[in-house]
Amino acid sequence: MSLVNLSHVCSHLQNASKARLGLTSIPSTNLHLSICLNLQKQGFLSTVLRGGPSPPDTSTLHTGEPLPASADAEATVTQENVATRRLWLGLKYWNSQPVLSEMKMVSKPKQRIQLSSLDIGRIVRGREAGYVKGLTRPGECLFVSTDKGVLEARECVERKVGGLVLCRVN
Amino acid sequence: MARFQPYTEEEKASLSQKYTPEQMEAIEAGETSISAQDLATQGAMRDDEHKLPYISDLSTIDPVIDHPVTPRSRLDPQNRPQGDASTRSGRGSSSRKEEEEEDPHMKRLIRQTGYTKQQIRRLRLKSLVAHRVTNQTRMGKIQSIYHLSVAGDGKGMLGIGEGKAHEDGDARRQAMMAAIRNMKPVPRYEERTIFGEVTGKVGAVELRLSARPPGFGLRCQHLIFEMARAAGIGDLSGKVLRSRNKMNVCKATFQALMQQKLPEDIARARGRKLVDVRKVYYGGKTF
Repeated sequence: MSLVNLSHVCSHLQNASKARLGLTSIPSTNLHLSICLNLQKQGFLSTVLRGGPSPPDTSTLHTGEPLPASADAEATVTQENVATRRLWLGLKYWNSQPVLSEMKMVSKPKQRIQLSSLDIGRIVRGREAGYVKGLTRPGECLFVSTDKGVLEARECVERKVGGLVLCRVN
Repeated sequence: MARFQPYTEEEKASLSQKYTPEQMEAIEAGETSISAQDLATQGAMRDDEHKLPYISDLSTIDPVIDHPVTPRSRLDPQNRPQGDASTRSGRGSSSRKEEEEEDPHMKRLIRQTGYTKQQIRRLRLKSLVAHRVTNQTRMGKIQSIYHLSVAGDGKGMLGIGEGKAHEDGDARRQAMMAAIRNMKPVPRYEERTIFGEVTGKVGAVELRLSARPPGFGLRCQHLIFEMARAAGIGDLSGKVLRSRNKMNVCKATFQALMQQKLPEDIARARGRKLVDVRKVYYGGKTF
C-alpha cells in the first residue's frame, strides 16, 4: 500500500479539477481502484474505467451499449502490460464548480494513522480523535482502509470496523 | 358580457358617496373608454402555460422596471390637507421628513436598492473601523478619514461598505450607504447559525467560523460578533488565525459567510439523496 502514490493521486485530482478537465488518468493499482470506486459511489466521479496509456472511447459510456472489444483488451491486465495500465476517471462539475475540490492525505508515508471504529465515530460527529480533525464541513468524506476493503468513515461506524485512515475529500 | 353592465343611476349615487366628484369623472371616463367586450375578452387572468409567474403590483413603484415617478409635492396648495389640530401638530415632523427626503444621497440609495425609507431605517447599521489615512503627493500629505460599516436586517441580509472622505461624517455616510447597497443574503442553518465550518482569507488575515448548537451564543471577537448580529446569526464560534487587521477581519468574515456551501447543493452536485434527519425525527418541529 503505497501512500506516496496515493498522495500523488490526491494532488493530481485536485489539479485536474482546478483545470476543469473532464477526463484524467491515474496509475492503476488495487488501492487506487478501490478508492476511486468509493469516490464514484459518493458521487465525486462520474466514471471509473480501466485502460491503457491512451484514453478510452467514452462516447458509448452513457448509452448503455457494451464497451467495444478493444476497450476490453486494453483493460485486461497481463504480466507484460501491468506497469502501463491506468485508471481513467471522469470528473464532475456542477454550477461551474468542481464537485471534488479538495482531497488531502490524513495518513502520511512517515506517519500512518490507525483508528478504531469508536474514534471514527467521534470524527464523523465532528469531534477530533487521534490527531485527526472532525468532519465539520458539509459533505466532507473520509476514506478508511479496513479489513473489509476501503470504506467511507460513516460506513465504518455502521459496520463497526476501524483501520488505516487514508484521505479526506471535500 | 353580462357581468360588465354599465353602472345604474343607483350605483352611481352610492359610488359618489365614497368618491370625490373628480374621481367619479375618472370612473365615468374609464367606463366610456373601455368597452365591455374588451373587459370580457382581455380582463381575465391568464391561466395558460405561458402566463407570467407573478401579478404586477401596481401600487408600488418598481425601481428597475418602472419609469421614475416624482410624487406630487405635499406642499401643493390644492392637495394640502385641510388641517385640524392633529395634522397641524404633526407638521413639524413632516417638514423634517421632507428635508430628509430631499437628501440626494438617501434618494439615490432608495432608487438604487428599491428599499423603502422605513425599511432602510430599520436596518442595523454600524461603523466598525475608522481611522485616518494619508495620501502622500508632491504637494504634501492629504489626509482623509476611512470608515468601514456593516449593514444587516437581522434576518439573513448582510453587507459591508467602505467610505473615504475629508470629513468624518461624509466617510461614515458613504460607508453606510455602500454597505446597504452591498447587502446580500447569508445562508443560515435554522436561522441561527451557519452551515458547517467555513474559512476566509483576505491578506494576512485567516479566520475560521464554525456552526454551533442552539443557545451557544456568539463566541467570537467583537468585529465578527457585530457582523453576525447584523446578519441575524445567534450561534457561532470564530477564530482569527494569523493577522488581526480590523479591516481585513471584516472583509474575511464577509467572504467566509458568503462562501458557505448548502447541503442541498452538495447533494445535487454529487447526485445523492439528502434527508434532514433532525427535521424528520422531531416531526418537522425543529424550532
